[in-house]
Amino acid sequence: MKKMKVAFFDFTCCEGCQLQVANMGESLLEVLDLIELVTFREVMSERSEQYDVAIVEGSITTSHDVERIKKIRETAKVLIAYGSCAAIGGINGMKNNFGLEEIREYVYKKDARFFDTIPTRAIHQVVKVDYAVNGCPVYVPEFVKVLKAALSGIPYRVPDYAVCVECKLNENECMYDKGITCFGPVTRAGCNSWCINNNNICYGCRGLVSNPALNGQKDILEKYAVPLPWIENKMNMYNKPRELGIDDPAKTELRKLES
Amino acid sequence: MDKFVTLNKQDLNDFIVKLSRSQPVMAPVARGCKSFVFESVDSAKAIALHYIPTILPPKKYFFPQRETLLTYNKTTPAWDPVLESRKMAIFGVHTCDLAGIQCLNMVMSASPQDNNYNARKEGITIIGLECNNYCDEYASCNVMDNHLPNGGYDLFFTELPDAFMVHVNSNAGERIVNDIGFFSAATPKHTQQLEEMRARKREIFKPEVKAGHKQLRGIFAGAFDSRQWDRIGERCVACGNCTNVCPTCYCFDVRDEINLDFNTGTRGRVWDSCQNEEFAQVAGGENFRKQRGQRQRHRYMRKFNYPVERFSRYFCTGCGRCSRACMAKINLKETIDALAEEKR
Repeated sequence: MKKMKVAFFDFTCCEGCQLQVANMGESLLEVLDLIELVTFREVMSERSEQYDVAIVEGSITTSHDVERIKKIRETAKVLIAYGSCAAIGGINGMKNNFGLEEIREYVYKKDARFFDTIPTRAIHQVVKVDYAVNGCPVYVPEFVKVLKAALSGIPYRVPDYAVCVECKLNENECMYDKGITCFGPVTRAGCNSWCINNNNICYGCRGLVSNPALNGQKDILEKYAVPLPWIENKMNMYNKPRELGIDDPAKTELRKLES
Repeated sequence: MDKFVTLNKQDLNDFIVKLSRSQPVMAPVARGCKSFVFESVDSAKAIALHYIPTILPPKKYFFPQRETLLTYNKTTPAWDPVLESRKMAIFGVHTCDLAGIQCLNMVMSASPQDNNYNARKEGITIIGLECNNYCDEYASCNVMDNHLPNGGYDLFFTELPDAFMVHVNSNAGERIVNDIGFFSAATPKHTQQLEEMRARKREIFKPEVKAGHKQLRGIFAGAFDSRQWDRIGERCVACGNCTNVCPTCYCFDVRDEINLDFNTGTRGRVWDSCQNEEFAQVAGGENFRKQRGQRQRHRYMRKFNYPVERFSRYFCTGCGRCSRACMAKINLKETIDALAEEKR
C-alpha cells in the first residue's frame, strides 16, 4: 500500500491539538509507519505543497484564511477538520458575541486598522470537510479512529448522543449530584467523558448534540437554580459559530463582507 | 440445601480479608458525595453496609460496559472468539439487584444463548445483603415484590443486632462457609431476631404506587396511546441515564475496531440505549422512534409489558435507579401513578 502524504495546517487556534499528536507516545510510531508526513510546522522543518490528506486545526477568522483554506481544499483529496476550532469554530467563536469593529478595537487598540477580521467560522462553514475530530483538545484515541477511517476511505460518525452516556458507563458520580453544573447532557460524546473522569466538568467543547431538548434542559436549569444568561455565556464559549446558519447579527456582517 | 449459619459482626472483616485472598471480592463502596459503586475490596473497612443502589448495578460483572467478542486477522484469515471468565465473589447485593440478575439470566440463557454472559456468570459467586429499611424515596421494591429475598444468590446476609444471619443457598455458598470459616450454627435467638426483623419490614414496606403488583401489566398494556408519553417526552433530554443504570437493560452495539496494522482487529460490544437519538435509526435515515416520548414509552414497555409476555416476569426491580439518575427528574413512581389514574 502506497503511503498517503499527510500535511498538518493551522489557522486561528492555539496549536494545542497538534501538540496532542506530538504527545501521542508509542502509538505515534505506529501512525508514522502508515503515513508519509510532509508538512507539520510544529514538529518538523521540511514542507511540501503536495499532499493527499490535510489535517486542519483552527477556525477561519480573516479573508486571508478563506483564500488559504480554499487552496488547501483544492490540493487535498481528504480534509480533516481537527479540534474544536476547526470542527465547530470553538473558542474563537466568542468574537461573534461582539460587533467586529468593537472587538477589533478592544484587542488591537490603536493598531486595529492593520488587522483584517471577519466573523469566526468552522472549516465546514467555508469549504467541504470529509472528517471532523471534535474536542479542545482532541481526544487522541478518537483521532486515531478518524485517521484509520480516513486512510481506509470509510466514514466516521461522531456519536450523536450526550457525554452522559459515556460518563455513566465510566460510573462517575454525576456532577449535578455534587452541586456542580456540567454540560454533559447537551454535548456530543466521543471523548469517553475524559474531563469528568478527571474530576472536571464537561465544558461542551465537542459541540451540541444534533437535537438538544430545549424544554427539558430549561427544566434542569430551573431545578438546579442555574441562571439562563450564565448558561448562555458558557455555551457560547465553544458553540457561538453554530448560529451562523441561523439569523444572527454575525451572519448579517458576513453577508455584507461577502457581497 | 436450606441452611442458616451466623457470622459475628466483628468477624466480618476477617471473613472479607480471607475471602479476598481466595478470589477477588467486589462490594459496594462510597464514591463522591452521595453515590456508591461496586468495586474490588480486600477488607470490610471500605465496604458500605448501608448503601443506596450503586451507580451501575452488579450487572457490569456479568455483562461489562465494553467487552471484546472476538479478534480477527484478515490475511490468515481467522476469527477467534474471546470468552472471558473470572472467578469472583460479589458481596452485598441487595434483593432488587438479585432480581435484576435473575432477569438477565433468563434473557441471556434463552436461545440463542449469550456465551460471553454465561461464561462470566460461571465464575461469579453472589453474596446477597438484606435491606432492613428503605434505601430512599425512589425505591419501589415492595410493589415489584423484591423487598424480601427471593433466591438468586449463593449466600444471603441479614444484619441482626450482633451478628449476620446467613442463608446458605448453593454448593458454592456452602464451600465458602466451610473453606473461609468464622461461621457458626444459627441459634434460636438469632432465628427469632430474624423473624422480628422481617415482621418490622412488613410494617415499613408498603406498595409505593397507586396500583397493585398484578395490575401493573394491564395499566401499561392499555397505555400505548396515553398522553403521558408526550408529557414525559417534553421533559426528557435523552441523556440515556435511565437505561444505562438499569439492572435489566441489556441492549448493546457491536463495533469492529481495526488495529493500526490494518490487518488485525477486534470486534467488541458496548452498552447501547434506546434513549439515544440514533438507536432506532436505519440506513436511509429513517428513525422509528424519533420522538423522545416514543423512546421513553418503549423503555417503560420493556419493563412492565413486553417481558411479561415473553418471560412471565416484570423487568422492573424497583431499585429506583432510573428516577435517581434522571437529569429531568422523570420519576417511575409518578409515571405509574399518572397512568393508573388515567386508566380509572
